[in-house]
Amino acid sequence: MPTIDQISESVFRETINRAVQDVFKTMLGKTATLENASAVANADGSPWEHPVHISGQHVVGTVGFIGDISGLIYLYLEDKFANDVASHMLGMTLAEIDEAGHEVVNDAVGELTNMTVGTFKNQLADKGFPCKLTIPSILRGSNFSIEPVSSATRRIYRFHVGEHAIVADLLMKSGD
Amino acid sequence: MRYKVLTVDDSKTVRIIVKKAFKGYDCEIIEAANGVEGLAAASKETPDLILLDITMPVMDGVEMLTKLKSDPALKAIPVIMLTAEGGRDNVLKIAKIGVRDYIVKPFKEEVLVEKCGRIIDLKPLTEGPQKAKSIFDPATLLVVEDKPAIIQQIQEGLKHTPWKIHGVNTTGEGIDYCSKNTPDLIIISLSLPEEAAFTLFRLIRQNVKTKYTPIFALVVKTEAAAQQQAQQVGFSYIVTKPIEIAEMESKIAKAMNLDTSQRYFAVDGDVFVMRLPENCSQTVVGEVTNYLKPKVSGAVDSGIVKAVIDLHELKSLNMAVIKLLIQAMQTCKDLALQYTLVGNPQIVSECKGFEDTRNWTFHESIADAKASFSRSAQPAGAA
Repeated sequence: MPTIDQISESVFRETINRAVQDVFKTMLGKTATLENASAVANADGSPWEHPVHISGQHVVGTVGFIGDISGLIYLYLEDKFANDVASHMLGMTLAEIDEAGHEVVNDAVGELTNMTVGTFKNQLADKGFPCKLTIPSILRGSNFSIEPVSSATRRIYRFHVGEHAIVADLLMKSGD
Repeated sequence: MRYKVLTVDDSKTVRIIVKKAFKGYDCEIIEAANGVEGLAAASKETPDLILLDITMPVMDGVEMLTKLKSDPALKAIPVIMLTAEGGRDNVLKIAKIGVRDYIVKPFKEEVLVEKCGRIIDLKPLTEGPQKAKSIFDPATLLVVEDKPAIIQQIQEGLKHTPWKIHGVNTTGEGIDYCSKNTPDLIIISLSLPEEAAFTLFRLIRQNVKTKYTPIFALVVKTEAAAQQQAQQVGFSYIVTKPIEIAEMESKIAKAMNLDTSQRYFAVDGDVFVMRLPENCSQTVVGEVTNYLKPKVSGAVDSGIVKAVIDLHELKSLNMAVIKLLIQAMQTCKDLALQYTLVGNPQIVSECKGFEDTRNWTFHESIADAKASFSRSAQPAGAA
Protein backbone atom coordinates (compact mmCIF):
# COMPACT_ATOMS: atom_id res chain seq x y z
CA MET A 1 0.00 0.00 0.00
CA PRO A 2 1.39 3.46 -0.85
CA THR A 3 2.21 5.74 2.08
CA ILE A 4 1.53 9.42 2.53
CA ASP A 5 5.25 10.15 2.43
CA GLN A 6 5.27 9.07 -1.19
CA ILE A 7 3.07 12.01 -2.14
CA SER A 8 5.31 14.89 -3.15
CA GLU A 9 4.71 18.54 -2.37
CA SER A 10 4.04 19.24 -6.03
CA VAL A 11 1.28 16.59 -6.07
CA PHE A 12 -0.43 18.18 -3.03
CA ARG A 13 -0.07 21.58 -4.62
CA GLU A 14 -1.42 20.46 -7.98
CA THR A 15 -4.28 18.51 -6.37
CA ILE A 16 -5.52 21.38 -4.19
CA ASN A 17 -5.02 23.82 -7.06
CA ARG A 18 -7.17 21.69 -9.38
CA ALA A 19 -9.84 21.24 -6.69
CA VAL A 20 -10.19 24.95 -5.91
CA GLN A 21 -10.09 25.96 -9.56
CA ASP A 22 -12.63 23.32 -10.59
CA VAL A 23 -15.12 24.20 -7.85
CA PHE A 24 -14.90 27.96 -8.30
CA LYS A 25 -15.17 27.67 -12.08
CA THR A 26 -18.09 25.23 -12.08
CA MET A 27 -20.15 26.66 -9.24
CA LEU A 28 -19.35 30.37 -9.49
CA GLY A 29 -17.96 30.85 -13.01
CA LYS A 30 -14.87 32.45 -11.41
CA THR A 31 -11.17 31.77 -11.94
CA ALA A 32 -9.10 31.03 -8.85
CA THR A 33 -5.36 31.63 -9.21
CA LEU A 34 -2.86 29.99 -6.88
CA GLU A 35 -0.21 32.30 -5.50
CA ASN A 36 3.34 31.07 -5.85
CA ALA A 37 4.37 31.56 -2.25
CA SER A 38 2.58 29.10 -0.01
CA ALA A 39 3.84 28.04 3.36
CA VAL A 40 4.59 24.50 4.45
CA ALA A 41 5.30 23.79 8.08
CA ASN A 42 6.21 20.36 9.35
CA ALA A 43 5.63 19.04 12.81
CA ASP A 44 9.34 18.99 13.55
CA GLY A 45 9.30 21.10 16.65
CA SER A 46 9.88 24.39 14.88
CA PRO A 47 7.72 27.18 16.37
CA TRP A 48 4.45 28.00 14.69
CA GLU A 49 4.04 31.44 13.35
CA HIS A 50 0.44 32.15 12.62
CA PRO A 51 0.49 31.73 8.83
CA VAL A 52 -3.05 32.83 8.02
CA HIS A 53 -3.48 36.51 8.68
CA ILE A 54 -7.06 37.27 9.49
CA SER A 55 -8.06 40.86 8.99
CA GLY A 56 -11.73 41.69 9.12
CA GLN A 57 -14.66 39.32 9.41
CA HIS A 58 -14.09 35.87 7.90
CA VAL A 59 -16.15 32.80 7.24
CA VAL A 60 -14.17 29.56 7.35
CA GLY A 61 -15.55 26.28 6.05
CA THR A 62 -14.08 22.98 7.24
CA VAL A 63 -14.45 19.46 5.89
CA GLY A 64 -12.36 16.48 6.88
CA PHE A 65 -11.40 13.26 5.09
CA ILE A 66 -10.81 9.96 6.85
CA GLY A 67 -9.40 6.73 5.49
CA ASP A 68 -6.05 5.59 4.17
CA ILE A 69 -5.17 9.24 4.30
CA SER A 70 -6.73 11.57 6.89
CA GLY A 71 -6.86 15.28 7.43
CA LEU A 72 -8.99 18.34 6.96
CA ILE A 73 -9.11 21.49 4.94
CA TYR A 74 -10.12 24.95 6.13
CA LEU A 75 -11.31 27.29 3.41
CA TYR A 76 -11.03 30.96 4.50
CA LEU A 77 -13.30 33.52 2.81
CA GLU A 78 -13.74 37.20 3.68
CA ASP A 79 -17.33 37.59 4.86
CA LYS A 80 -18.26 39.91 1.98
CA PHE A 81 -16.94 37.38 -0.49
CA ALA A 82 -18.81 34.64 1.37
CA ASN A 83 -22.01 36.64 0.79
CA ASP A 84 -21.13 36.93 -2.92
CA VAL A 85 -20.55 33.18 -3.08
CA ALA A 86 -23.92 32.43 -1.43
CA SER A 87 -25.67 34.94 -3.67
CA HIS A 88 -24.22 33.34 -6.80
CA MET A 89 -24.81 29.74 -5.75
CA LEU A 90 -28.38 30.29 -4.60
CA GLY A 91 -29.45 32.76 -7.28
CA MET A 92 -30.37 35.35 -4.64
CA THR A 93 -29.57 39.07 -4.51
CA LEU A 94 -27.12 40.36 -1.89
CA ALA A 95 -30.04 42.10 -0.17
CA GLU A 96 -31.89 38.77 0.04
CA ILE A 97 -28.74 37.11 1.41
CA ASP A 98 -28.42 39.82 4.06
CA GLU A 99 -32.03 39.33 5.02
CA ALA A 100 -31.68 35.53 5.09
CA GLY A 101 -28.80 35.81 7.59
CA HIS A 102 -25.70 33.84 8.47
CA GLU A 103 -27.30 30.42 8.28
CA VAL A 104 -27.76 30.60 4.51
CA VAL A 105 -24.21 31.86 3.91
CA ASN A 106 -22.78 29.24 6.27
CA ASP A 107 -24.56 26.48 4.39
CA ALA A 108 -23.31 27.76 1.01
CA VAL A 109 -19.71 28.07 2.24
CA GLY A 110 -20.01 24.64 3.86
CA GLU A 111 -21.11 23.15 0.56
CA LEU A 112 -18.38 24.98 -1.38
CA THR A 113 -15.82 23.56 1.07
CA ASN A 114 -17.39 20.11 0.83
CA MET A 115 -17.06 20.19 -2.96
CA THR A 116 -13.47 21.45 -2.78
CA VAL A 117 -12.36 18.84 -0.26
CA GLY A 118 -14.30 16.18 -2.18
CA THR A 119 -12.49 17.04 -5.42
CA PHE A 120 -9.16 17.07 -3.54
CA LYS A 121 -9.62 13.72 -1.82
CA ASN A 122 -11.17 12.02 -4.88
CA GLN A 123 -7.92 12.69 -6.76
CA LEU A 124 -5.96 11.17 -3.88
CA ALA A 125 -8.36 8.21 -3.81
CA ASP A 126 -7.57 7.56 -7.47
CA LYS A 127 -3.86 7.62 -6.56
CA GLY A 128 -4.42 4.77 -4.08
CA PHE A 129 -5.53 6.58 -0.89
CA PRO A 130 -9.28 5.93 -0.46
CA CYS A 131 -10.98 8.06 2.18
CA LYS A 132 -14.39 9.46 3.07
CA LEU A 133 -15.61 12.98 3.68
CA THR A 134 -16.94 14.32 6.97
CA ILE A 135 -19.85 16.69 7.44
CA PRO A 136 -18.91 20.39 6.98
CA SER A 137 -18.69 22.88 9.82
CA ILE A 138 -18.27 26.65 9.86
CA LEU A 139 -16.21 29.13 11.85
CA ARG A 140 -16.97 32.84 11.89
CA GLY A 141 -14.94 35.63 13.42
CA SER A 142 -12.46 38.44 12.98
CA ASN A 143 -9.63 37.78 15.33
CA PHE A 144 -8.81 34.15 15.70
CA SER A 145 -6.24 31.60 14.72
CA ILE A 146 -6.55 27.91 14.07
CA GLU A 147 -3.68 25.85 15.42
CA PRO A 148 -3.08 22.20 14.58
CA VAL A 149 -1.88 19.62 17.05
CA SER A 150 1.83 18.95 16.90
CA SER A 151 1.48 15.69 14.99
CA ALA A 152 -0.15 17.39 11.99
CA THR A 153 1.48 18.59 8.83
CA ARG A 154 0.21 21.92 7.64
CA ARG A 155 0.19 23.28 4.11
CA ILE A 156 -1.24 26.65 3.26
CA TYR A 157 -2.25 27.67 -0.25
CA ARG A 158 -3.34 31.19 -1.08
CA PHE A 159 -5.56 31.94 -4.05
CA HIS A 160 -6.93 35.02 -5.69
CA VAL A 161 -10.44 35.07 -7.05
CA GLY A 162 -10.84 38.43 -8.78
CA GLU A 163 -10.17 41.03 -6.09
CA HIS A 164 -10.70 38.58 -3.25
CA ALA A 165 -8.13 36.43 -1.47
CA ILE A 166 -8.99 32.94 -0.25
CA VAL A 167 -6.86 30.52 1.70
CA ALA A 168 -6.95 26.73 1.66
CA ASP A 169 -5.36 25.45 4.86
CA LEU A 170 -4.60 21.73 4.57
CA LEU A 171 -3.90 19.83 7.78
CA MET A 172 -2.92 16.21 7.52
CA LYS A 173 -2.22 13.51 9.99
CA SER A 174 1.41 12.53 9.56
CA GLY A 175 2.13 9.11 8.07
CA ASP A 176 1.74 6.19 10.48
CA MET B 1 -47.85 14.54 -16.36
CA ARG B 2 -45.99 16.49 -13.71
CA TYR B 3 -42.90 14.57 -12.61
CA LYS B 4 -41.72 14.47 -9.01
CA VAL B 5 -38.02 14.66 -8.22
CA LEU B 6 -36.86 13.99 -4.65
CA THR B 7 -33.59 15.67 -3.66
CA VAL B 8 -31.96 14.16 -0.58
CA ASP B 9 -29.08 16.32 0.67
CA ASP B 10 -28.18 17.74 4.06
CA SER B 11 -27.08 20.96 2.36
CA LYS B 12 -29.94 23.38 1.87
CA THR B 13 -27.71 25.09 -0.69
CA VAL B 14 -27.69 22.01 -2.90
CA ARG B 15 -31.45 21.57 -2.54
CA ILE B 16 -31.95 25.20 -3.60
CA ILE B 17 -29.60 24.74 -6.58
CA VAL B 18 -31.59 21.65 -7.62
CA LYS B 19 -34.85 23.62 -7.38
CA LYS B 20 -33.30 26.46 -9.37
CA ALA B 21 -32.07 24.05 -12.05
CA PHE B 22 -35.56 22.62 -12.59
CA LYS B 23 -37.40 25.94 -12.32
CA GLY B 24 -38.08 26.11 -16.05
CA TYR B 25 -39.42 22.55 -16.26
CA ASP B 26 -42.75 21.00 -15.49
CA CYS B 27 -41.73 19.05 -12.39
CA GLU B 28 -42.15 19.21 -8.66
CA ILE B 29 -39.12 19.12 -6.35
CA ILE B 30 -39.51 17.38 -2.99
CA GLU B 31 -36.79 17.87 -0.37
CA ALA B 32 -35.29 15.69 2.33
CA ALA B 33 -32.26 16.46 4.52
CA ASN B 34 -31.04 12.91 5.27
CA GLY B 35 -31.62 9.26 4.47
CA VAL B 36 -34.40 8.76 7.03
CA GLU B 37 -36.37 11.73 5.73
CA GLY B 38 -35.55 10.59 2.19
CA LEU B 39 -37.03 7.11 2.69
CA ALA B 40 -40.14 8.60 4.30
CA ALA B 41 -40.59 11.05 1.41
CA ALA B 42 -40.00 8.30 -1.14
CA SER B 43 -42.75 6.14 0.44
CA LYS B 44 -45.18 9.02 0.75
CA GLU B 45 -44.66 10.74 -2.58
CA THR B 46 -43.41 7.93 -4.85
CA PRO B 47 -41.12 10.26 -6.83
CA ASP B 48 -40.16 9.56 -10.43
CA LEU B 49 -36.49 10.20 -9.67
CA ILE B 50 -34.29 10.56 -6.59
CA LEU B 51 -31.14 12.71 -6.41
CA LEU B 52 -29.09 11.34 -3.54
CA ASP B 53 -26.12 12.70 -1.60
CA ILE B 54 -23.84 10.37 0.36
CA THR B 55 -22.38 12.21 3.34
CA MET B 56 -25.36 13.11 5.52
CA PRO B 57 -26.10 12.94 9.24
CA VAL B 58 -28.65 10.49 10.74
CA MET B 59 -28.58 8.15 7.73
CA ASP B 60 -26.12 8.48 4.86
CA GLY B 61 -26.92 8.03 1.19
CA VAL B 62 -25.41 4.55 0.83
CA GLU B 63 -27.60 3.20 3.63
CA MET B 64 -30.67 4.90 2.20
CA LEU B 65 -29.90 3.51 -1.25
CA THR B 66 -29.47 -0.01 0.16
CA LYS B 67 -32.78 0.19 2.05
CA LEU B 68 -34.53 1.67 -0.99
CA LYS B 69 -33.34 -1.14 -3.24
CA SER B 70 -34.47 -3.80 -0.76
CA ASP B 71 -38.00 -2.37 -0.55
CA PRO B 72 -40.22 -3.92 -3.27
CA ALA B 73 -42.41 -0.82 -3.36
CA LEU B 74 -39.52 1.60 -3.85
CA LYS B 75 -36.77 -0.31 -5.61
CA ALA B 76 -37.91 0.67 -9.10
CA ILE B 77 -37.49 4.40 -8.45
CA PRO B 78 -34.43 5.52 -10.44
CA VAL B 79 -31.65 7.09 -8.38
CA ILE B 80 -28.93 9.51 -9.48
CA MET B 81 -26.14 10.01 -6.96
CA LEU B 82 -25.27 13.70 -6.56
CA THR B 83 -22.33 13.80 -4.22
CA ALA B 84 -18.82 15.06 -3.58
CA GLU B 85 -17.80 11.44 -2.83
CA GLY B 86 -16.14 10.37 -6.06
CA GLY B 87 -13.11 8.25 -6.76
CA ARG B 88 -13.27 5.32 -9.17
CA ASP B 89 -13.54 2.48 -6.64
CA ASN B 90 -16.15 4.29 -4.56
CA VAL B 91 -18.30 5.06 -7.61
CA LEU B 92 -18.09 1.44 -8.83
CA LYS B 93 -19.04 0.08 -5.40
CA ILE B 94 -22.12 2.31 -5.14
CA ALA B 95 -23.08 1.79 -8.79
CA LYS B 96 -23.35 -1.94 -8.04
CA ILE B 97 -26.13 -1.28 -5.50
CA GLY B 98 -28.15 0.08 -8.39
CA VAL B 99 -27.99 3.70 -9.53
CA ARG B 100 -28.90 5.15 -12.90
CA ASP B 101 -26.21 7.79 -12.95
CA TYR B 102 -23.53 9.33 -10.79
CA ILE B 103 -22.82 13.05 -10.71
CA VAL B 104 -19.76 14.15 -8.75
CA LYS B 105 -19.95 17.65 -7.23
CA PRO B 106 -19.16 20.34 -8.27
CA PHE B 107 -21.83 20.19 -10.96
CA LYS B 108 -23.38 22.46 -13.53
CA GLU B 109 -27.14 22.86 -13.37
CA GLU B 110 -27.41 22.15 -17.12
CA VAL B 111 -25.60 18.83 -16.68
CA LEU B 112 -27.94 17.85 -13.84
CA VAL B 113 -31.03 18.66 -15.91
CA GLU B 114 -29.60 16.93 -18.97
CA LYS B 115 -28.86 13.72 -17.03
CA CYS B 116 -32.27 13.75 -15.35
CA GLY B 117 -33.83 14.40 -18.75
CA ARG B 118 -32.47 11.04 -19.90
CA ILE B 119 -34.55 9.30 -17.24
CA ILE B 120 -37.73 11.37 -17.02
CA ASP B 121 -39.38 13.14 -19.92
CA LEU B 122 -38.79 16.70 -18.73
CA LYS B 123 -40.90 19.29 -20.50
CA PRO B 124 -39.96 22.97 -20.42
CA LEU B 125 -42.66 25.15 -18.90
CA THR B 126 -44.27 27.42 -21.45
CA GLU B 127 -44.34 31.08 -20.53
CA GLY B 128 -47.79 32.30 -19.61
CA PRO B 129 -49.35 28.92 -18.91
CA GLN B 130 -52.75 29.40 -20.57
CA LYS B 131 -52.33 32.14 -23.13
CA ALA B 132 -51.23 30.96 -26.58
CA LYS B 133 -48.43 33.01 -28.10
CA SER B 134 -49.57 35.31 -30.83
CA ILE B 135 -48.16 36.04 -34.25
CA PHE B 136 -47.24 39.50 -32.91
CA ASP B 137 -45.07 38.16 -30.08
CA PRO B 138 -41.29 38.03 -30.45
CA ALA B 139 -39.66 34.67 -31.07
CA THR B 140 -36.19 33.42 -31.95
CA LEU B 141 -35.52 31.22 -34.96
CA LEU B 142 -32.19 29.51 -35.50
CA VAL B 143 -31.19 28.82 -39.09
CA VAL B 144 -28.26 26.42 -39.64
CA GLU B 145 -27.27 26.77 -43.28
CA ASP B 146 -23.82 26.81 -44.89
CA LYS B 147 -24.97 29.20 -47.60
CA PRO B 148 -25.14 32.76 -46.24
CA ALA B 149 -27.37 33.86 -49.14
CA ILE B 150 -30.15 31.53 -47.97
CA ILE B 151 -29.92 32.82 -44.39
CA GLN B 152 -30.12 36.33 -45.77
CA GLN B 153 -33.15 35.42 -47.90
CA ILE B 154 -34.97 34.07 -44.84
CA GLN B 155 -34.03 37.10 -42.74
CA GLU B 156 -35.18 39.42 -45.50
CA GLY B 157 -38.38 37.49 -46.15
CA LEU B 158 -39.40 37.42 -42.50
CA LYS B 159 -38.29 40.91 -41.53
CA HIS B 160 -41.92 42.07 -41.29
CA THR B 161 -42.45 39.58 -38.44
CA PRO B 162 -41.38 40.19 -34.81
CA TRP B 163 -39.15 37.10 -35.08
CA LYS B 164 -35.39 37.32 -34.66
CA ILE B 165 -33.63 35.12 -37.20
CA HIS B 166 -30.24 33.95 -35.96
CA GLY B 167 -28.20 32.40 -38.76
CA VAL B 168 -25.16 30.15 -38.31
CA ASN B 169 -23.09 28.33 -40.92
CA THR B 170 -21.97 25.16 -39.15
CA THR B 171 -23.43 22.49 -36.87
CA GLY B 172 -20.81 23.40 -34.24
CA GLU B 173 -22.13 26.94 -34.08
CA GLY B 174 -25.68 25.55 -33.97
CA ILE B 175 -24.88 23.29 -31.00
CA ASP B 176 -23.10 26.13 -29.25
CA TYR B 177 -26.09 28.43 -29.78
CA CYS B 178 -28.55 25.83 -28.45
CA SER B 179 -26.42 25.25 -25.35
CA LYS B 180 -26.74 28.93 -24.44
CA ASN B 181 -30.19 29.77 -25.84
CA THR B 182 -33.51 28.09 -26.40
CA PRO B 183 -34.73 28.98 -29.88
CA ASP B 184 -38.47 28.71 -30.56
CA LEU B 185 -37.85 26.97 -33.88
CA ILE B 186 -34.83 25.61 -35.71
CA ILE B 187 -34.31 25.34 -39.46
CA ILE B 188 -31.50 23.04 -40.60
CA SER B 189 -30.22 22.77 -44.16
CA LEU B 190 -29.90 19.17 -45.32
CA SER B 191 -27.10 20.29 -47.63
CA LEU B 192 -24.65 20.60 -44.72
CA PRO B 193 -21.66 18.34 -45.45
CA GLU B 194 -21.51 14.69 -44.35
CA GLU B 195 -25.14 14.41 -43.28
CA ALA B 196 -24.38 16.81 -40.44
CA ALA B 197 -28.02 17.95 -40.45
CA PHE B 198 -29.16 14.55 -39.16
CA THR B 199 -26.45 14.45 -36.48
CA LEU B 200 -27.46 17.94 -35.38
CA PHE B 201 -31.13 16.90 -35.35
CA ARG B 202 -30.32 14.03 -32.97
CA LEU B 203 -28.23 16.24 -30.68
CA ILE B 204 -30.98 18.86 -30.50
CA ARG B 205 -33.54 16.19 -29.65
CA GLN B 206 -31.26 14.82 -26.90
CA ASN B 207 -30.97 18.27 -25.30
CA VAL B 208 -33.76 18.54 -22.75
CA LYS B 209 -34.22 22.25 -23.51
CA THR B 210 -34.80 21.67 -27.21
CA LYS B 211 -36.39 18.22 -27.05
CA TYR B 212 -39.76 19.60 -28.18
CA THR B 213 -38.56 22.51 -30.31
CA PRO B 214 -39.95 22.28 -33.86
CA ILE B 215 -37.18 21.54 -36.37
CA PHE B 216 -37.64 22.27 -40.07
CA ALA B 217 -35.47 20.78 -42.80
CA LEU B 218 -34.36 22.95 -45.69
CA VAL B 219 -33.76 21.07 -48.95
CA VAL B 220 -33.80 21.52 -52.70
CA LYS B 221 -37.20 20.60 -54.13
CA THR B 222 -35.83 17.85 -56.37
CA GLU B 223 -33.90 15.99 -53.66
CA ALA B 224 -36.58 13.44 -52.91
CA ALA B 225 -34.32 10.98 -51.07
CA ALA B 226 -33.15 13.60 -48.56
CA GLN B 227 -36.75 14.74 -48.02
CA GLN B 228 -37.85 11.19 -47.36
CA GLN B 229 -35.00 10.65 -44.91
CA ALA B 230 -35.89 13.90 -43.09
CA GLN B 231 -39.50 12.77 -42.78
CA GLN B 232 -38.46 9.41 -41.39
CA VAL B 233 -36.11 10.98 -38.85
CA GLY B 234 -38.92 13.22 -37.59
CA PHE B 235 -38.30 16.75 -38.86
CA SER B 236 -41.42 18.79 -38.12
CA TYR B 237 -41.70 20.15 -41.67
CA ILE B 238 -39.69 20.26 -44.87
CA VAL B 239 -39.12 23.63 -46.53
CA THR B 240 -38.11 23.26 -50.15
CA LYS B 241 -35.78 25.52 -52.09
CA PRO B 242 -36.53 27.82 -53.82
CA ILE B 243 -38.17 29.00 -50.60
CA GLU B 244 -41.78 30.16 -50.72
CA ILE B 245 -41.49 32.62 -47.83
CA ALA B 246 -45.23 33.14 -47.20
CA GLU B 247 -45.80 29.40 -47.06
CA MET B 248 -42.83 28.92 -44.75
CA GLU B 249 -44.00 31.74 -42.48
CA SER B 250 -47.40 30.13 -42.18
CA LYS B 251 -45.85 26.72 -41.37
CA ILE B 252 -43.55 28.32 -38.78
CA ALA B 253 -46.53 29.97 -37.09
CA LYS B 254 -48.38 26.66 -37.07
CA ALA B 255 -45.38 24.71 -35.73
CA MET B 256 -44.88 27.26 -32.94
CA ASN B 257 -48.61 26.95 -32.21
CA LEU B 258 -49.06 30.69 -32.63
CA ASP B 259 -52.44 32.33 -32.58
CA THR B 260 -52.58 33.93 -36.06
CA SER B 261 -56.21 34.99 -35.80
CA GLN B 262 -55.26 38.60 -35.08
CA ARG B 263 -54.04 38.86 -38.66
CA TYR B 264 -57.56 38.31 -39.94
CA PHE B 265 -59.92 39.25 -37.13
CA ALA B 266 -60.15 42.35 -34.97
CA VAL B 267 -62.66 44.40 -33.05
CA ASP B 268 -62.73 48.05 -34.11
CA GLY B 269 -64.87 49.97 -31.62
CA ASP B 270 -68.26 48.25 -31.69
CA VAL B 271 -67.61 46.55 -35.04
CA PHE B 272 -66.16 43.11 -35.69
CA VAL B 273 -63.75 43.18 -38.65
CA MET B 274 -62.70 40.22 -40.76
CA ARG B 275 -59.80 41.14 -43.03
CA LEU B 276 -58.35 39.12 -45.90
CA PRO B 277 -54.72 39.81 -46.90
CA GLU B 278 -53.37 40.73 -50.34
CA ASN B 279 -52.48 37.14 -51.24
CA CYS B 280 -55.10 34.72 -50.04
CA SER B 281 -53.36 31.38 -50.52
CA GLN B 282 -54.94 28.03 -49.78
CA THR B 283 -53.13 28.07 -46.41
CA VAL B 284 -54.59 31.47 -45.51
CA VAL B 285 -58.09 30.36 -46.53
CA GLY B 286 -57.64 27.28 -44.34
CA GLU B 287 -56.50 29.35 -41.35
CA VAL B 288 -59.35 31.87 -41.68
CA THR B 289 -61.92 29.06 -42.09
CA ASN B 290 -60.67 27.44 -38.89
CA TYR B 291 -60.93 30.66 -36.88
CA LEU B 292 -64.18 31.88 -38.46
CA LYS B 293 -66.91 30.35 -36.33
CA PRO B 294 -65.20 30.71 -32.92
CA LYS B 295 -64.20 34.31 -33.66
CA VAL B 296 -67.69 35.38 -34.86
CA SER B 297 -69.31 33.59 -31.92
CA GLY B 298 -66.88 35.28 -29.54
CA ALA B 299 -67.74 38.69 -30.96
CA VAL B 300 -71.49 38.03 -30.64
CA ASP B 301 -70.93 36.73 -27.13
CA SER B 302 -69.23 39.99 -26.16
CA GLY B 303 -72.24 41.99 -27.38
CA ILE B 304 -71.13 43.01 -30.87
CA VAL B 305 -73.91 43.14 -33.51
CA LYS B 306 -72.11 44.62 -36.53
CA ALA B 307 -69.42 43.15 -38.78
CA VAL B 308 -67.29 44.35 -41.68
CA ILE B 309 -65.73 41.92 -44.14
CA ASP B 310 -62.74 43.87 -45.39
CA LEU B 311 -61.36 42.88 -48.81
CA HIS B 312 -59.65 46.14 -49.71
CA GLU B 313 -56.17 44.57 -49.63
CA LEU B 314 -57.18 41.46 -51.57
CA LYS B 315 -55.61 41.26 -55.06
CA SER B 316 -57.96 38.83 -56.74
CA LEU B 317 -60.76 36.36 -56.16
CA ASN B 318 -60.71 32.61 -56.61
CA MET B 319 -63.20 29.87 -55.85
CA ALA B 320 -61.70 29.09 -52.43
CA VAL B 321 -61.94 32.75 -51.38
CA ILE B 322 -65.52 33.03 -52.67
CA LYS B 323 -66.47 29.91 -50.75
CA LEU B 324 -64.89 31.34 -47.61
CA LEU B 325 -66.73 34.66 -48.03
CA ILE B 326 -70.08 32.91 -48.52
CA GLN B 327 -69.39 30.88 -45.38
CA ALA B 328 -68.48 34.04 -43.45
CA MET B 329 -71.69 35.76 -44.51
CA GLN B 330 -73.76 32.70 -43.62
CA THR B 331 -72.12 32.56 -40.18
CA CYS B 332 -73.00 36.23 -39.62
CA LYS B 333 -76.60 35.56 -40.72
CA ASP B 334 -76.89 32.52 -38.45
CA LEU B 335 -75.81 34.62 -35.49
CA ALA B 336 -77.97 37.63 -36.51
CA LEU B 337 -74.89 39.77 -37.06
CA GLN B 338 -75.40 42.75 -39.35
CA TYR B 339 -72.57 42.74 -41.90
CA THR B 340 -71.24 44.69 -44.85
CA LEU B 341 -68.37 44.45 -47.33
CA VAL B 342 -65.42 46.69 -48.14
CA GLY B 343 -63.58 46.16 -51.43
CA ASN B 344 -61.22 47.69 -53.94
CA PRO B 345 -62.23 48.36 -57.59
CA GLN B 346 -60.50 45.18 -58.80
CA ILE B 347 -62.47 42.96 -56.40
CA VAL B 348 -65.73 44.81 -57.05
CA SER B 349 -65.20 44.26 -60.76
CA GLU B 350 -64.29 40.57 -60.39
CA CYS B 351 -67.39 39.98 -58.29
CA LYS B 352 -69.56 41.04 -61.21
CA GLY B 353 -68.22 38.07 -63.17
CA PHE B 354 -69.47 35.30 -60.88
CA GLU B 355 -73.05 34.18 -60.46
CA ASP B 356 -72.69 33.84 -56.67
CA THR B 357 -71.07 37.23 -56.15
CA ARG B 358 -72.79 39.36 -58.79
CA ASN B 359 -75.17 41.02 -56.34
CA TRP B 360 -72.64 41.78 -53.60
CA THR B 361 -72.36 45.47 -52.78
CA PHE B 362 -69.22 47.09 -51.41
CA HIS B 363 -68.13 50.16 -49.52
CA GLU B 364 -64.88 51.88 -50.34
CA SER B 365 -63.56 52.08 -46.79
CA ILE B 366 -64.20 50.77 -43.31
CA ALA B 367 -65.34 54.26 -42.28
CA ASP B 368 -68.00 54.22 -45.04
CA ALA B 369 -69.03 50.72 -44.02
CA LYS B 370 -69.39 51.73 -40.37
CA ALA B 371 -71.38 54.80 -41.33
CA SER B 372 -73.73 52.62 -43.38
CA PHE B 373 -74.81 50.73 -40.25
CA SER B 374 -76.42 53.85 -38.86
CA ARG B 375 -78.26 54.50 -42.17
CA SER B 376 -79.64 51.04 -42.69
CA ALA B 377 -80.42 48.07 -40.55
CA GLN B 378 -80.36 45.81 -43.63
CA PRO B 379 -77.34 43.64 -44.41
CA ALA B 380 -75.62 45.59 -47.21
CA GLY B 381 -73.77 42.65 -48.77
CA ALA B 382 -76.71 40.26 -48.86
CA ALA B 383 -77.04 38.43 -52.14
